[in-house]
Amino acid sequence: MNKDAAFDAVIVGAGVAGALIAKRLTDAGLTVLVLEAGPGTSRGLDDYTRHLERFYAASAKSPESPWPPAVGAPQPDTTALRNNDGYFVQRGPNPYGSSYTRLWGGSTLHWLGVSLRMLPEDFRMRSLHGVGRDWPLDYTALAPYYERAERAIGVSADVADQSYLGVTFPDGYDYPMRRVPPSYADRVLGAAVDGMPITLGDEEFAIRVRSYPAARNSIPRGDYRPAGAVDIRAGDGSSIPPLQGERCQGNTSCTPICPVQAKYHAGKTLAQADLRFLTVRVQAVASKILVDPASGAVQGIEYKRYDDPEAASHTTRVATGRTYILAAHAVENAKLMLASGLEGPRGHVGRTLMDHPALYAWGLAPLDVGAYRGPQSTSGIEELRGGAFRARHAAFRFDVGNDGWRASTGAPDTAVSDAVMTRNLFGPALRAQLGATLPRHVRLSLAVEQLPDPDNRVSIDPGYLDPLGNPRPVIDYRIDDYTLAGMAAASDVARAVFRRAGVTDCTDPSKGSWFPSVFYRGREFHYHGMGHFAGTHAMGADPAGSVVDADQRAWEHRNLFLVGSGSFPTMGTSNPTLTLAALALRTADRLVESLLP
Amino acid sequence: MPSSKITTLSELKDYLYLAMQLEHATLPAYLTALYSIKPGTNTDAVHILRVVAVEEMLHLSIAANLLNAIGGTPDLAHPGFVPSYPTYLPDGETDFKVGITRFGKEAVETFKKIERPSKGDGRLVRRSYAPGTSVLGRHPKSDEMHFYSIGDFYKAIEDGFELLEAEAQGLGKTIFIGDPKRQVTSEYYYSGGGALFAVTDLESAKRAITLVMTQGEGTPTSIYDNDGELSHFYRFDQLTHGRYYQKGDEPHHPTGPALSVDWEASYPIEANVKLADFPAGTELYDAAQSFNQAYAKFLKAITRAFNGKPELLLTAVPLMFDFRNLITELVRNPLPGSAGRNAAPTFEIDAVTAAESLAAARQEVVA
Repeated sequence: MNKDAAFDAVIVGAGVAGALIAKRLTDAGLTVLVLEAGPGTSRGLDDYTRHLERFYAASAKSPESPWPPAVGAPQPDTTALRNNDGYFVQRGPNPYGSSYTRLWGGSTLHWLGVSLRMLPEDFRMRSLHGVGRDWPLDYTALAPYYERAERAIGVSADVADQSYLGVTFPDGYDYPMRRVPPSYADRVLGAAVDGMPITLGDEEFAIRVRSYPAARNSIPRGDYRPAGAVDIRAGDGSSIPPLQGERCQGNTSCTPICPVQAKYHAGKTLAQADLRFLTVRVQAVASKILVDPASGAVQGIEYKRYDDPEAASHTTRVATGRTYILAAHAVENAKLMLASGLEGPRGHVGRTLMDHPALYAWGLAPLDVGAYRGPQSTSGIEELRGGAFRARHAAFRFDVGNDGWRASTGAPDTAVSDAVMTRNLFGPALRAQLGATLPRHVRLSLAVEQLPDPDNRVSIDPGYLDPLGNPRPVIDYRIDDYTLAGMAAASDVARAVFRRAGVTDCTDPSKGSWFPSVFYRGREFHYHGMGHFAGTHAMGADPAGSVVDADQRAWEHRNLFLVGSGSFPTMGTSNPTLTLAALALRTADRLVESLLP
Repeated sequence: MPSSKITTLSELKDYLYLAMQLEHATLPAYLTALYSIKPGTNTDAVHILRVVAVEEMLHLSIAANLLNAIGGTPDLAHPGFVPSYPTYLPDGETDFKVGITRFGKEAVETFKKIERPSKGDGRLVRRSYAPGTSVLGRHPKSDEMHFYSIGDFYKAIEDGFELLEAEAQGLGKTIFIGDPKRQVTSEYYYSGGGALFAVTDLESAKRAITLVMTQGEGTPTSIYDNDGELSHFYRFDQLTHGRYYQKGDEPHHPTGPALSVDWEASYPIEANVKLADFPAGTELYDAAQSFNQAYAKFLKAITRAFNGKPELLLTAVPLMFDFRNLITELVRNPLPGSAGRNAAPTFEIDAVTAAESLAAARQEVVA
């Protein structure tokens, strides 16, 4: 087996966490090797354009549609959920509905870009609400890193909109770019529901439609320069200056691909890293962590390198460094640990897997709201993310869509086919019918909190291997009553919101796209995953019940760090990327301190 | 004989109007070449043309800021603002024609000429043009007198600002009496290179002129402009060489990543076609007219934006997205009687404006 020259740090995964750490370390003059399991086809603008064309040509516009996996780096696919014939071995009882992307740039290639901070109370669920567990960090400790993360990934928002439920900002701070303008639909819905009272238990909340922070380029503040499209061509990794993407153009396909790269993806950070100190090796799948059994220290990472993304043939090598960082994704980090025989303190690796199971609610507005235009969404309803009710049931947030019923029913395509096939419309009558309904489509996503449950887990089984001989993730997943009660409350609120806004509620999962269902007190909910994998190597104040410490350093392997949302003890209701970015920057600071002479 | 020296505020305003006309005049040529490229081909050329077109819009806004700064009134809907193509541009001792043509080697050579203004001492040359010929970079008072180059044209403007402001200062006054609220800043328009800033005094006026000049041709010592952006001339030169420039490169010797150009992969459109060349009553005729109407609407929106409503730029720029669809309809269809060549946008905007004002006048009469 060939050994590579040693680096200061070996990072597994060229996604957002790995990229931010690679940039911080190389900026400090430390040498970094990044091993990326997937191909590097998102590096050049030509290749990126091919991904875009693939998305345009796809009949099902799933999150995976622009990003096909390599044979050697398979990935979950939401379209495989129904028949359970995908990369995940789903043991249920509920299917885990999310996916991720194994490519240079990671899942930020397909994310929506929502960059909410966690609420201060989210870090103290056990102390405040008697459920879940506390973080070993609090909001105050993370706040400076949130600021750095907002600048590093480029978040557009106005602080004036974002101070709620205890989220605070220092005087004079504002986001690096102004908020992306709220859509017309946001303003119409806001005019109807702002100030509307909602009662949960004995608490009353006044909700409003609020612009959310988005990692999509907008009008910069001060000297901030938005990062546009990446175009790396030369062998030495040097880039062509961005030719587009320095502003969001309002294309309605943030997920799964921003056509102009105005939305952040981790490749932007890699392209900004100091290339003298950075080596990125794509098509290199980490397969085993080599550990000194006596000290627990990591001695190398074995990886399988393939030349042809269409084939399983590969060679095996070992990467060595002074320190090792697993940034391969919550599931892949856990899988790699387990494949190396490293189960963590009390076998905690892979456990407490979480997501934000989410429901759709859709309806027909009384007037045109301009559906199917602008970024996929620009606003949300955030007031129900926190409160004393969290002792009893899950918190939730709403995303207010600008993309009509696309996600919930497959419209406009399905609306056209329905009008033609079942209503027998054609010609001017068909056009009139579509023109009278499509612009009125309203959609809400109701994303519901989930608590850590040790039985929800990623494990491996020698009976299930991928083409390279690496284990496939085996998923045990159950949505408990805490989350189900949150779903019930969320869907009641959605109904009330529609009623208040005069929106005809058309939510009928039997007529929508297929999603798995769960039952709660006689009600059926059809849920989808939000792609918010978390908790598989949770951090804690002591090794009992956690895998890493507050610096994301493995308790049992002091030169090994596991980064990403896998480190979250609980996940509240915010989309995890901003928080995992803040944690990565914090860890990077610790790494620089310890690695510099 | 007219002098190249600007001695009155009114002259300076005339020059700045011509500067706006000049900055705008390249846009139809660049947009047509851009959208004549067959989909899925020439991705590098597409990006380069797009970036340059976006920056020409920036230059147009800068010229409007200069005019607004001294109390002028930008009017892009003025008859004659959009030249009749082909139109002449000075290039030192000679001139050349800018036309509405397909993307190809010839077009790129012309674009390089547009962006290659040699800097002189602001001198004028006499040239005779046929009556009715459209000429850019001419003296505002004389159709025969032509600036030696675009650089000379801007040099005259810069000198004019200096002279007139010095005179005004001597009297305890300033020429910068424009309402600052009319200034368009980067909140309302952005481009890859160079921020859009308010022109409020001589310093900012000179900075604005320098930005326009160096973004086209580079600085005297570098192929990059003062913001470190590759200048337009060298952006196009990359297509000629099939290679990107990178920092440290000498002119004509790019050493960056290779790029590929398929010179034939553009629709074979008829050059400088006019509406009169379209058979009346056809869908193609209607499409050509629709485009001109959309373009006229765009110029009107921009004019309003430059007249105290800068926020309208945010809504005017997306109108440019429509141009792609409208131009595409034209360039993909053969123009009858044109030996297999395709239709193209005609950019005859005055006709639209005239027809609209006639219609409006009629309506008034009826009312």
